[in-house]
Amino acid sequence: MALFEAHHLHKRFADQVVLEDITLSFEENQISGIMGPNGAGKTTCFNVLTGRFKPDRGQVRFDGQDITGLPPRKIAGKGIARSFQMMNLFDEYTALENIVLALPEVRARGFSVLHDLSNDSGAQDRGAQVLARIGLAGREHALASDLSYGQRRALEIGIALAAEPRMLFLDEPTSGLGMDATAILAELIGEIRKSVSIVIIEHDMRFLFDLADTIAVIHWGQVIAQGGPDELRDNEWVRASNLGALA
Amino acid sequence: MTSQPLLHVDQVHKTYSRGVFNKQVTFDLQADFTIHEPGIVGVMGPNGSGKTTLFELITGSNNPTAGQVLVCGQDIHQVRSDQRDRLAIHYHQSYQVRHFRKRRPNFMLQPSHTDYPMVHLFDEPQFNTQDGYIGFMLDFFRRLRDEGRLVVLCVHPNEPFHLQIMQEICERYIFVQHGRLSLAPTYDGLLANPDVTAYLGDLVGGQAA
Repeated sequence: MALFEAHHLHKRFADQVVLEDITLSFEENQISGIMGPNGAGKTTCFNVLTGRFKPDRGQVRFDGQDITGLPPRKIAGKGIARSFQMMNLFDEYTALENIVLALPEVRARGFSVLHDLSNDSGAQDRGAQVLARIGLAGREHALASDLSYGQRRALEIGIALAAEPRMLFLDEPTSGLGMDATAILAELIGEIRKSVSIVIIEHDMRFLFDLADTIAVIHWGQVIAQGGPDELRDNEWVRASNLGALA
Repeated sequence: MTSQPLLHVDQVHKTYSRGVFNKQVTFDLQADFTIHEPGIVGVMGPNGSGKTTLFELITGSNNPTAGQVLVCGQDIHQVRSDQRDRLAIHYHQSYQVRHFRKRRPNFMLQPSHTDYPMVHLFDEPQFNTQDGYIGFMLDFFRRLRDEGRLVVLCVHPNEPFHLQIMQEICERYIFVQHGRLSLAPTYDGLLANPDVTAYLGDLVGGQAA
């Protein structure tokens, strides 16, 4: 049994069918990729897998438990974290504060947190450790708004990691990043995979081919192909293309 | 169920007309064919020739004026509208809409005999050589066929590689023009039709020889 499984997911919005029939499984300690052309249903798939939308039919299981239709915070509580395609940071807070606010023990305390944050060396240390994991050591006191786009993406991943999830979902992590920032992000993901299972939804085939252990291709709301990167790359049309990179 | 043809379009007519007292037929589609075996069928034809109407009639989202459509022996227009997509499914260019004109309430209609559709109609899928997804789409069509299903692929060729794809993957062809269908068992047979070569124009000029 895989750590995460989805069975026959179907999702429609009024007359529009977005997910026809999606069956997927993601193994522990692996990087699993989902790719597909624009409009294939990738983000809806992501939102159904992570509990933001409830499927009309089908089942989502995590670690043997049925989590279909649970509210996002319950799903997060089970050890699943997600990033957003849109940036979701507090611009007026520093990198460290953004992370510390996401630590489970700080969240549990509720608000008024900022007053005693400076005295809470435990939380600060833990926050600094997370920053080091995402390659932002030394940038603790930079405002989130002063970080580069690539660093902001890394910080977002850091916020997801602060909850120490077992499984991390990333929605189009390369969107908006240039080649250099994408390469740094790939390195970062290669590093954090040692401690968390990762699912990446991505349009850029090359990024997934380099990182993922297994990839599912979705289109028309279905899994139209799946396999390891070498298997999928071995296709004349894929070889002839520029792998989904935007020209 | 396997003894039944996968798709039987039985003397289907669809007539659109204008006016109440002095009716004038504005469009008239006639189709009558049977496909017994799983396979991939290519459909071509000019805009407005009736390709999409044909697909709507086959999936039961549009009612025929006369005739019937049998998918694996089941009259799709007698199946509950919320289960017709388990028999035949219409993929629009890049999005999917399920909308069914209702003539009778669902409780008076039959359940579908199958769970996953036996007939898959792809209406001008976007083939973009840049991103490489074509390769996965073609493999998906082949997989559906190998599972014993029928794939109908409608392409409006405007680049030579569109024709190459059709030639590579389709086992038979249907050409639609002015609401009439002509069936061709092979690619060469398709190109032997002067209407087809006139429609394809320059795309086929170099290739036909």
